[in-house]
Amino acid sequence: MTTATDTQLPQGIGRLSRGWIAFFLGAAVLFAFGIVGYIYEQGQGMVATGMRDLGAMQGATWGLYIAMVVYFIGVSFAGVTVAALIRLFDIEKLKGVARMAEVLTIVALVLGALAILVDLGQPLRGIVNLFRYGRPQSPFFGTFSLVVSGYLFASLVYLYVTSRPDAARLAQRPSRLQGLYRWIAAGWEDTPEQRAKDRRVTFWLAITILPLLVVAHSTLGFVFGLQVGRPGWFSTLQAPAFVTLAGVSGIGHIIVLAAIVATVLKAKDRIRLDAFIWLGRFLMVLLFVYLYFTIVELLTTMYQPTEHEKVLSDALLRGEYAWIFWGSLAGLAIPALMLAWMALTRHWRVSWLVVASILVNLAAIGKRYLIVVPSQTHGQLLPYGIGSYSPSWVEYAVVIGLFGLGALAIGAFMKLFPIIELEEGEA
Amino acid sequence: MKRSTIVTWTMIAVGVVLMVVSYFFLATPWCNTAVECSNPRVPFAPAIFVLGVLIAFSSAVYYAVAKD
Repeated sequence: MTTATDTQLPQGIGRLSRGWIAFFLGAAVLFAFGIVGYIYEQGQGMVATGMRDLGAMQGATWGLYIAMVVYFIGVSFAGVTVAALIRLFDIEKLKGVARMAEVLTIVALVLGALAILVDLGQPLRGIVNLFRYGRPQSPFFGTFSLVVSGYLFASLVYLYVTSRPDAARLAQRPSRLQGLYRWIAAGWEDTPEQRAKDRRVTFWLAITILPLLVVAHSTLGFVFGLQVGRPGWFSTLQAPAFVTLAGVSGIGHIIVLAAIVATVLKAKDRIRLDAFIWLGRFLMVLLFVYLYFTIVELLTTMYQPTEHEKVLSDALLRGEYAWIFWGSLAGLAIPALMLAWMALTRHWRVSWLVVASILVNLAAIGKRYLIVVPSQTHGQLLPYGIGSYSPSWVEYAVVIGLFGLGALAIGAFMKLFPIIELEEGEA
Repeated sequence: MKRSTIVTWTMIAVGVVLMVVSYFFLATPWCNTAVECSNPRVPFAPAIFVLGVLIAFSSAVYYAVAKD
Protein backbone atom coordinates (compact mmCIF):
# COMPACT_ATOMS: atom_id res chain seq x y z
CA MET A 1 0.00 0.00 0.00
CA THR A 2 2.95 2.30 0.55
CA THR A 3 5.45 3.57 -1.98
CA ALA A 4 8.70 5.35 -1.34
CA THR A 5 7.39 8.60 -2.72
CA ASP A 6 4.14 8.61 -0.75
CA THR A 7 5.95 8.38 2.56
CA GLN A 8 7.08 11.95 2.02
CA LEU A 9 3.56 13.32 2.25
CA PRO A 10 2.58 14.68 5.68
CA GLN A 11 -0.29 13.56 7.92
CA GLY A 12 -0.24 10.02 6.53
CA ILE A 13 -1.69 11.09 3.20
CA GLY A 14 -1.73 8.31 0.61
CA ARG A 15 -0.81 5.63 3.14
CA LEU A 16 -3.19 3.00 4.44
CA SER A 17 -2.34 1.26 7.68
CA ARG A 18 -4.30 -1.78 8.87
CA GLY A 19 -6.30 0.43 11.17
CA TRP A 20 -7.31 2.64 8.28
CA ILE A 21 -8.24 -0.34 6.12
CA ALA A 22 -10.42 -1.65 8.97
CA PHE A 23 -11.99 1.80 9.31
CA PHE A 24 -12.79 2.03 5.60
CA LEU A 25 -14.16 -1.53 5.54
CA GLY A 26 -16.35 -0.83 8.56
CA ALA A 27 -17.68 2.41 7.08
CA ALA A 28 -18.22 0.69 3.71
CA VAL A 29 -20.25 -2.07 5.39
CA LEU A 30 -22.47 0.55 7.05
CA PHE A 31 -22.87 2.35 3.75
CA ALA A 32 -23.68 -0.91 1.95
CA PHE A 33 -26.33 -1.64 4.60
CA GLY A 34 -27.89 1.72 3.75
CA ILE A 35 -27.80 0.95 0.04
CA VAL A 36 -29.55 -2.38 0.67
CA GLY A 37 -32.23 -0.59 2.68
CA TYR A 38 -32.71 2.04 0.00
CA ILE A 39 -32.92 -0.52 -2.82
CA TYR A 40 -35.56 -2.34 -0.79
CA GLU A 41 -37.44 0.93 -0.27
CA GLN A 42 -37.33 1.73 -3.96
CA GLY A 43 -38.53 -1.76 -4.84
CA GLN A 44 -41.39 -1.88 -2.35
CA GLY A 45 -42.27 1.80 -2.37
CA MET A 46 -42.59 4.08 0.64
CA VAL A 47 -44.80 1.48 2.32
CA ALA A 48 -41.51 -0.18 3.30
CA THR A 49 -40.94 2.69 5.70
CA GLY A 50 -42.92 3.37 8.87
CA MET A 51 -44.37 6.54 7.35
CA ARG A 52 -48.05 6.74 6.55
CA ASP A 53 -50.46 9.49 5.56
CA LEU A 54 -51.66 11.96 8.15
CA GLY A 55 -55.24 11.98 9.30
CA ALA A 56 -57.21 8.99 8.04
CA MET A 57 -54.17 6.69 8.10
CA GLN A 58 -53.10 8.14 11.47
CA GLY A 59 -49.45 8.21 10.57
CA ALA A 60 -46.67 10.69 9.90
CA THR A 61 -45.50 11.64 6.42
CA TRP A 62 -42.24 13.05 7.79
CA GLY A 63 -40.29 10.68 9.96
CA LEU A 64 -36.74 9.72 10.75
CA TYR A 65 -35.43 10.89 7.36
CA ILE A 66 -36.66 14.45 7.79
CA ALA A 67 -35.43 14.47 11.40
CA MET A 68 -32.01 13.53 10.00
CA VAL A 69 -32.25 16.20 7.29
CA VAL A 70 -32.66 18.80 10.01
CA TYR A 71 -29.91 17.20 12.08
CA PHE A 72 -27.34 16.98 9.26
CA ILE A 73 -28.01 20.50 8.05
CA GLY A 74 -27.68 21.60 11.66
CA VAL A 75 -24.29 19.92 11.93
CA SER A 76 -23.15 21.80 8.84
CA PHE A 77 -23.86 25.12 10.56
CA ALA A 78 -21.04 25.08 13.03
CA GLY A 79 -18.39 23.87 10.63
CA VAL A 80 -18.41 26.83 8.34
CA THR A 81 -19.24 29.21 11.21
CA VAL A 82 -16.11 28.21 13.06
CA ALA A 83 -14.07 28.32 9.85
CA ALA A 84 -15.41 31.78 9.02
CA LEU A 85 -14.85 33.09 12.57
CA ILE A 86 -11.28 31.82 12.48
CA ARG A 87 -10.61 33.76 9.25
CA LEU A 88 -12.53 36.87 10.26
CA PHE A 89 -11.03 37.29 13.71
CA ASP A 90 -7.75 35.53 13.01
CA ILE A 91 -8.19 33.14 15.94
CA GLU A 92 -4.79 31.51 15.81
CA LYS A 93 -5.52 28.74 18.34
CA LEU A 94 -8.35 27.35 16.20
CA LYS A 95 -6.47 27.20 12.91
CA GLY A 96 -5.80 23.50 13.46
CA VAL A 97 -9.51 22.73 13.26
CA ALA A 98 -10.44 25.14 10.45
CA ARG A 99 -10.20 22.71 7.57
CA MET A 100 -11.88 19.81 9.32
CA ALA A 101 -14.72 22.21 10.16
CA GLU A 102 -15.04 23.14 6.48
CA VAL A 103 -14.99 19.47 5.43
CA LEU A 104 -17.55 18.60 8.09
CA THR A 105 -19.87 21.29 6.74
CA ILE A 106 -19.70 19.98 3.19
CA VAL A 107 -20.11 16.33 4.17
CA ALA A 108 -23.04 17.16 6.48
CA LEU A 109 -24.76 19.22 3.79
CA VAL A 110 -24.42 16.41 1.24
CA LEU A 111 -25.79 13.93 3.78
CA GLY A 112 -28.67 16.31 4.51
CA ALA A 113 -29.47 16.58 0.80
CA LEU A 114 -29.34 12.78 0.44
CA ALA A 115 -31.63 12.39 3.45
CA ILE A 116 -34.18 14.54 1.60
CA LEU A 117 -33.87 12.40 -1.52
CA VAL A 118 -34.37 9.09 0.29
CA ASP A 119 -37.54 10.53 1.77
CA LEU A 120 -39.00 10.89 -1.72
CA GLY A 121 -40.67 7.99 -3.44
CA GLN A 122 -39.57 9.45 -6.78
CA PRO A 123 -36.43 11.46 -6.09
CA LEU A 124 -35.82 12.48 -9.70
CA ARG A 125 -39.28 13.98 -9.95
CA GLY A 126 -38.64 15.82 -6.71
CA ILE A 127 -35.40 17.36 -7.97
CA VAL A 128 -36.83 18.40 -11.34
CA ASN A 129 -40.02 19.83 -9.86
CA LEU A 130 -38.14 21.77 -7.22
CA PHE A 131 -36.19 23.61 -9.90
CA ARG A 132 -39.25 23.89 -12.09
CA TYR A 133 -42.04 24.91 -9.74
CA GLY A 134 -40.37 26.03 -6.50
CA ARG A 135 -42.26 28.95 -4.91
CA PRO A 136 -40.08 31.72 -3.48
CA GLN A 137 -42.74 32.35 -0.84
CA SER A 138 -42.28 28.87 0.56
CA PRO A 139 -39.67 28.24 3.26
CA PHE A 140 -38.82 25.08 1.32
CA PHE A 141 -37.56 27.21 -1.53
CA GLY A 142 -35.32 29.22 0.78
CA THR A 143 -34.15 26.09 2.57
CA PHE A 144 -33.25 24.08 -0.46
CA SER A 145 -32.04 26.88 -2.73
CA LEU A 146 -30.03 28.61 0.00
CA VAL A 147 -28.90 25.58 1.95
CA VAL A 148 -28.32 23.00 -0.72
CA SER A 149 -27.19 25.23 -3.57
CA GLY A 150 -25.93 28.47 -2.06
CA TYR A 151 -24.56 27.30 1.26
CA LEU A 152 -23.06 24.06 -0.07
CA PHE A 153 -21.52 25.76 -3.07
CA ALA A 154 -20.19 28.66 -0.98
CA SER A 155 -18.64 26.16 1.44
CA LEU A 156 -17.02 24.28 -1.44
CA VAL A 157 -15.60 27.54 -2.80
CA TYR A 158 -14.37 28.44 0.67
CA LEU A 159 -12.69 25.06 1.12
CA TYR A 160 -11.12 25.30 -2.33
CA VAL A 161 -9.71 28.79 -1.84
CA THR A 162 -8.25 27.96 1.57
CA SER A 163 -6.81 24.65 0.31
CA ARG A 164 -4.80 26.03 -2.61
CA PRO A 165 -1.68 27.00 -0.62
CA ASP A 166 -1.39 23.49 0.85
CA ALA A 167 -2.04 21.93 -2.55
CA ALA A 168 0.76 24.05 -4.04
CA ARG A 169 3.15 22.91 -1.33
CA LEU A 170 2.20 19.25 -1.78
CA ALA A 171 2.46 19.53 -5.57
CA GLN A 172 6.18 20.18 -5.18
CA ARG A 173 6.65 16.66 -3.79
CA PRO A 174 6.70 13.68 -6.15
CA SER A 175 3.75 11.44 -5.32
CA ARG A 176 0.87 9.59 -6.94
CA LEU A 177 -1.32 12.53 -5.99
CA GLN A 178 0.93 15.20 -7.46
CA GLY A 179 -1.34 15.75 -10.47
CA LEU A 180 -4.34 16.25 -8.20
CA TYR A 181 -2.48 18.78 -6.07
CA ARG A 182 -1.29 20.70 -9.15
CA TRP A 183 -4.88 20.86 -10.38
CA ILE A 184 -6.16 22.12 -7.03
CA ALA A 185 -3.31 24.61 -6.64
CA ALA A 186 -4.12 26.04 -10.08
CA GLY A 187 -0.90 28.00 -10.28
CA TRP A 188 -0.87 29.27 -6.70
CA GLU A 189 2.42 30.97 -5.87
CA ASP A 190 3.59 32.04 -2.46
CA THR A 191 3.81 35.76 -3.16
CA PRO A 192 2.64 38.68 -0.99
CA GLU A 193 0.12 39.61 -3.72
CA GLN A 194 -1.40 36.11 -3.79
CA ARG A 195 -1.59 35.97 0.01
CA ALA A 196 -3.28 39.37 0.10
CA LYS A 197 -5.71 38.18 -2.55
CA ASP A 198 -6.48 35.01 -0.59
CA ARG A 199 -7.08 37.05 2.56
CA ARG A 200 -9.50 39.32 0.70
CA VAL A 201 -11.37 36.40 -0.83
CA THR A 202 -11.72 34.43 2.41
CA PHE A 203 -12.71 37.58 4.32
CA TRP A 204 -15.50 38.47 1.90
CA LEU A 205 -16.61 34.85 1.59
CA ALA A 206 -16.82 34.63 5.39
CA ILE A 207 -18.75 37.91 5.52
CA THR A 208 -21.18 36.52 2.91
CA ILE A 209 -21.50 33.01 4.32
CA LEU A 210 -22.24 33.95 7.95
CA PRO A 211 -25.51 35.85 7.29
CA LEU A 212 -26.38 33.36 4.55
CA LEU A 213 -26.23 30.45 6.94
CA VAL A 214 -28.27 32.25 9.61
CA VAL A 215 -30.93 32.94 6.96
CA ALA A 216 -30.71 29.37 5.68
CA HIS A 217 -31.10 27.78 9.10
CA SER A 218 -33.83 30.17 10.12
CA THR A 219 -35.67 29.29 6.91
CA LEU A 220 -35.38 25.63 7.81
CA GLY A 221 -36.99 26.53 11.13
CA PHE A 222 -39.74 28.37 9.23
CA VAL A 223 -40.61 25.12 7.40
CA PHE A 224 -42.10 24.10 10.74
CA GLY A 225 -42.58 27.42 12.51
CA LEU A 226 -44.87 28.95 9.88
CA GLN A 227 -47.39 26.11 9.84
CA VAL A 228 -50.35 27.60 11.68
CA GLY A 229 -52.45 24.46 11.60
CA ARG A 230 -49.96 22.23 13.35
CA PRO A 231 -49.73 22.50 17.17
CA GLY A 232 -46.17 22.34 18.36
CA TRP A 233 -44.72 23.75 15.16
CA PHE A 234 -46.23 27.22 14.95
CA SER A 235 -43.82 29.21 17.09
CA THR A 236 -41.66 32.30 16.86
CA LEU A 237 -38.88 30.44 18.62
CA GLN A 238 -38.53 27.75 15.94
CA ALA A 239 -36.08 29.72 13.79
CA PRO A 240 -33.69 30.91 16.54
CA ALA A 241 -33.94 27.53 18.28
CA PHE A 242 -33.03 25.81 15.01
CA VAL A 243 -29.96 28.00 14.60
CA THR A 244 -28.88 27.45 18.21
CA LEU A 245 -29.33 23.67 18.22
CA ALA A 246 -27.56 23.57 14.87
CA GLY A 247 -24.62 25.25 16.54
CA VAL A 248 -24.75 22.81 19.46
CA SER A 249 -24.68 19.69 17.31
CA GLY A 250 -22.12 21.12 14.89
CA ILE A 251 -19.67 22.29 17.56
CA GLY A 252 -20.08 18.91 19.24
CA HIS A 253 -19.14 17.19 15.99
CA ILE A 254 -16.08 19.38 15.53
CA ILE A 255 -14.89 18.57 19.04
CA VAL A 256 -15.26 14.82 18.44
CA LEU A 257 -13.62 15.01 15.01
CA ALA A 258 -10.78 17.19 16.32
CA ALA A 259 -10.14 14.74 19.17
CA ILE A 260 -10.08 11.80 16.74
CA VAL A 261 -7.80 13.60 14.28
CA ALA A 262 -5.44 14.78 17.04
CA THR A 263 -5.13 11.20 18.29
CA VAL A 264 -4.94 9.39 14.95
CA LEU A 265 -2.45 11.82 13.39
CA LYS A 266 -0.59 12.31 16.68
CA ALA A 267 -1.18 16.01 16.22
CA LYS A 268 -1.88 17.19 19.73
CA ASP A 269 0.67 19.95 19.23
CA ARG A 270 -1.38 21.27 16.27
CA ILE A 271 -4.82 20.89 17.87
CA ARG A 272 -3.99 22.04 21.33
CA LEU A 273 -6.07 22.07 24.50
CA ASP A 274 -6.79 25.78 24.12
CA ALA A 275 -8.62 25.03 20.85
CA PHE A 276 -10.81 22.50 22.66
CA ILE A 277 -11.39 24.99 25.49
CA TRP A 278 -12.53 27.65 23.01
CA LEU A 279 -14.90 25.18 21.36
CA GLY A 280 -16.09 23.93 24.75
CA ARG A 281 -16.95 27.46 25.92
CA PHE A 282 -18.76 28.17 22.66
CA LEU A 283 -20.69 24.91 23.05
CA MET A 284 -21.57 25.76 26.65
CA VAL A 285 -22.99 29.18 25.74
CA LEU A 286 -25.06 27.70 22.90
CA LEU A 287 -26.30 24.91 25.16
CA PHE A 288 -27.54 27.31 27.84
CA VAL A 289 -29.23 29.50 25.24
CA TYR A 290 -30.95 26.44 23.76
CA LEU A 291 -32.03 25.19 27.19
CA TYR A 292 -33.48 28.64 27.87
CA PHE A 293 -35.46 28.43 24.60
CA THR A 294 -36.68 24.96 25.54
CA ILE A 295 -37.87 26.06 28.98
CA VAL A 296 -39.59 29.17 27.60
CA GLU A 297 -41.32 27.09 24.94
CA LEU A 298 -42.37 24.48 27.49
CA LEU A 299 -43.74 27.02 29.96
CA THR A 300 -45.63 28.83 27.22
CA THR A 301 -47.18 25.59 26.02
CA MET A 302 -48.09 24.38 29.52
CA TYR A 303 -49.34 27.67 30.98
CA GLN A 304 -52.72 27.72 29.30
CA PRO A 305 -52.70 25.30 26.40
CA THR A 306 -55.45 24.83 23.88
CA GLU A 307 -56.99 21.38 23.77
CA HIS A 308 -54.75 20.36 20.86
CA GLU A 309 -51.60 21.76 22.43
CA LYS A 310 -52.40 19.83 25.60
CA VAL A 311 -52.67 16.53 23.73
CA LEU A 312 -49.26 17.20 22.23
CA SER A 313 -47.56 18.33 25.44
CA ASP A 314 -49.00 15.32 27.30
CA ALA A 315 -47.52 13.00 24.66
CA LEU A 316 -44.17 14.72 25.04
CA LEU A 317 -44.04 15.02 28.82
CA ARG A 318 -45.66 11.79 29.96
CA GLY A 319 -46.83 9.93 26.87
CA GLU A 320 -45.17 7.79 24.23
CA TYR A 321 -42.50 10.41 23.41
CA ALA A 322 -41.60 11.13 27.04
CA TRP A 323 -38.51 8.92 27.05
CA ILE A 324 -37.11 10.75 24.04
CA PHE A 325 -38.08 14.15 25.46
CA TRP A 326 -36.59 13.65 28.90
CA GLY A 327 -33.65 11.71 27.49
CA SER A 328 -32.87 14.55 25.10
CA LEU A 329 -33.29 17.16 27.80
CA ALA A 330 -30.89 15.23 30.04
CA GLY A 331 -28.54 14.86 27.06
CA LEU A 332 -28.42 18.64 26.82
CA ALA A 333 -28.54 19.58 30.51
CA ILE A 334 -25.85 17.16 31.73
CA PRO A 335 -23.25 18.31 29.16
CA ALA A 336 -24.17 21.95 29.93
CA LEU A 337 -23.42 21.32 33.60
CA MET A 338 -20.24 19.39 32.75
CA LEU A 339 -19.01 22.28 30.62
CA ALA A 340 -20.00 24.86 33.23
CA TRP A 341 -18.11 22.87 35.86
CA MET A 342 -15.02 22.70 33.67
CA ALA A 343 -15.29 26.43 32.93
CA LEU A 344 -15.69 27.36 36.60
CA THR A 345 -12.88 25.14 37.84
CA ARG A 346 -10.75 25.93 34.76
CA HIS A 347 -9.98 22.24 34.62
CA TRP A 348 -10.69 21.23 31.02
CA ARG A 349 -10.33 17.65 29.85
CA VAL A 350 -10.64 16.64 26.21
CA SER A 351 -12.16 13.28 27.14
CA TRP A 352 -15.00 15.02 29.05
CA LEU A 353 -15.51 17.39 26.16
CA VAL A 354 -15.83 14.43 23.80
CA VAL A 355 -18.35 12.74 26.10
CA ALA A 356 -20.34 16.00 26.35
CA SER A 357 -20.22 16.40 22.56
CA ILE A 358 -21.47 12.87 21.90
CA LEU A 359 -24.29 13.38 24.42
CA VAL A 360 -25.41 16.66 22.86
CA ASN A 361 -25.44 15.07 19.43
CA LEU A 362 -27.58 12.16 20.58
CA ALA A 363 -29.85 14.71 22.27
CA ALA A 364 -29.93 16.81 19.09
CA ILE A 365 -31.11 13.81 17.06
CA GLY A 366 -33.78 13.21 19.71
CA LYS A 367 -34.88 16.85 19.65
CA ARG A 368 -35.03 16.88 15.86
CA TYR A 369 -37.17 13.75 15.96
CA LEU A 370 -39.46 15.41 18.50
CA ILE A 371 -39.78 18.52 16.37
CA VAL A 372 -40.75 16.51 13.30
CA VAL A 373 -42.89 13.59 14.45
CA PRO A 374 -45.18 14.27 17.47
CA SER A 375 -46.87 17.30 15.89
CA GLN A 376 -48.01 15.03 13.07
CA THR A 377 -49.21 12.12 15.17
CA HIS A 378 -50.65 14.15 18.08
CA GLY A 379 -51.08 17.61 16.56
CA GLN A 380 -54.29 17.14 14.62
CA LEU A 381 -56.74 20.03 14.47
CA LEU A 382 -59.16 17.96 12.41
CA PRO A 383 -61.18 15.28 14.25
CA TYR A 384 -58.88 12.35 13.48
CA GLY A 385 -57.64 10.00 16.14
CA ILE A 386 -54.19 10.02 17.67
CA GLY A 387 -51.65 8.68 15.21
CA SER A 388 -48.42 6.79 15.62
CA TYR A 389 -45.12 6.38 13.88
CA SER A 390 -42.12 4.18 14.39
CA PRO A 391 -39.32 3.91 11.86
CA SER A 392 -38.96 0.61 10.01
CA TRP A 393 -35.67 -1.26 9.62
CA VAL A 394 -35.36 0.31 6.16
CA GLU A 395 -35.22 3.81 7.63
CA TYR A 396 -32.70 2.79 10.28
CA ALA A 397 -30.60 1.08 7.60
CA VAL A 398 -30.60 4.11 5.32
CA VAL A 399 -29.69 6.47 8.18
CA ILE A 400 -26.88 4.16 9.29
CA GLY A 401 -25.76 4.07 5.66
CA LEU A 402 -25.65 7.87 5.59
CA PHE A 403 -23.42 7.91 8.65
CA GLY A 404 -21.23 5.28 6.96
CA LEU A 405 -21.01 7.45 3.84
CA GLY A 406 -20.07 10.46 5.96
CA ALA A 407 -17.31 8.51 7.69
CA LEU A 408 -16.05 7.25 4.32
CA ALA A 409 -16.01 10.78 2.89
CA ILE A 410 -14.11 12.29 5.82
CA GLY A 411 -11.71 9.32 5.92
CA ALA A 412 -11.08 9.57 2.18
CA PHE A 413 -10.41 13.30 2.49
CA MET A 414 -7.87 12.62 5.23
CA LYS A 415 -6.06 10.17 2.97
CA LEU A 416 -5.99 12.61 0.03
CA PHE A 417 -5.42 16.01 1.59
CA PRO A 418 -4.18 17.49 4.89
CA ILE A 419 -7.13 17.71 7.29
CA ILE A 420 -4.98 20.09 9.35
CA GLU A 421 -3.57 23.07 7.50
CA LEU A 422 0.12 22.64 6.81
CA GLU A 423 2.60 24.82 8.62
CA GLU A 424 5.47 26.57 6.86
CA GLY A 425 7.93 23.91 5.69
CA GLU A 426 5.77 20.97 6.82
CA ALA A 427 5.34 19.65 3.29
CA MET B 1 -8.90 48.70 -12.53
CA LYS B 2 -7.41 45.27 -13.15
CA ARG B 3 -9.08 42.89 -15.58
CA SER B 4 -9.59 40.22 -12.90
CA THR B 5 -11.35 42.75 -10.66
CA ILE B 6 -13.65 43.82 -13.47
CA VAL B 7 -14.55 40.22 -14.34
CA THR B 8 -15.12 39.38 -10.68
CA TRP B 9 -17.48 42.31 -10.13
CA THR B 10 -19.25 41.49 -13.39
CA MET B 11 -19.80 37.90 -12.22
CA ILE B 12 -21.15 39.12 -8.88
CA ALA B 13 -23.44 41.60 -10.62
CA VAL B 14 -24.73 39.01 -13.11
CA GLY B 15 -25.32 36.54 -10.27
CA VAL B 16 -27.21 39.05 -8.13
CA VAL B 17 -29.29 40.27 -11.10
CA LEU B 18 -30.23 36.67 -11.96
CA MET B 19 -31.22 36.03 -8.35
CA VAL B 20 -33.31 39.20 -8.04
CA VAL B 21 -34.99 38.89 -11.45
CA SER B 22 -35.80 35.20 -11.06
CA TYR B 23 -37.02 35.64 -7.49
CA PHE B 24 -39.26 38.67 -8.01
CA PHE B 25 -40.20 38.59 -11.69
CA LEU B 26 -39.87 35.07 -13.10
CA ALA B 27 -40.91 32.80 -10.23
CA THR B 28 -44.39 32.28 -8.84
CA PRO B 29 -46.09 35.65 -8.17
CA TRP B 30 -46.54 36.79 -4.59
CA CYS B 31 -50.27 36.15 -4.45
CA ASN B 32 -52.63 33.38 -3.47
CA THR B 33 -55.91 34.39 -5.05
CA ALA B 34 -55.78 32.73 -8.45
CA VAL B 35 -54.54 29.66 -10.27
CA GLU B 36 -51.84 31.85 -11.84
CA CYS B 37 -50.37 32.22 -8.37
CA SER B 38 -49.46 28.53 -8.33
CA ASN B 39 -47.00 28.25 -11.18
CA PRO B 40 -43.85 30.19 -12.01
CA ARG B 41 -44.19 32.81 -14.76
CA VAL B 42 -41.17 31.26 -16.47
CA PRO B 43 -40.53 27.52 -16.12
CA PHE B 44 -37.42 26.67 -14.12
CA ALA B 45 -37.25 30.15 -12.56
CA PRO B 46 -35.90 28.60 -9.33
CA ALA B 47 -33.10 27.04 -11.38
CA ILE B 48 -32.21 30.52 -12.67
CA PHE B 49 -32.06 31.72 -9.06
CA VAL B 50 -29.72 28.88 -8.16
CA LEU B 51 -27.61 29.66 -11.25
CA GLY B 52 -27.29 33.23 -9.99
CA VAL B 53 -26.06 31.97 -6.61
CA LEU B 54 -23.51 29.71 -8.31
CA ILE B 55 -22.20 32.50 -10.59
CA ALA B 56 -21.91 34.97 -7.69
CA PHE B 57 -19.89 32.56 -5.56
CA SER B 58 -17.82 31.34 -8.54
CA SER B 59 -16.49 34.89 -8.77
CA ALA B 60 -14.45 34.14 -5.62
CA VAL B 61 -12.76 31.21 -7.34
CA TYR B 62 -12.08 33.29 -10.44
CA TYR B 63 -10.65 36.17 -8.42
CA ALA B 64 -8.41 33.86 -6.40
CA VAL B 65 -7.13 31.95 -9.43
CA ALA B 66 -6.90 34.73 -12.03
CA LYS B 67 -3.46 36.08 -12.83
CA ASP B 68 -3.28 39.86 -13.03
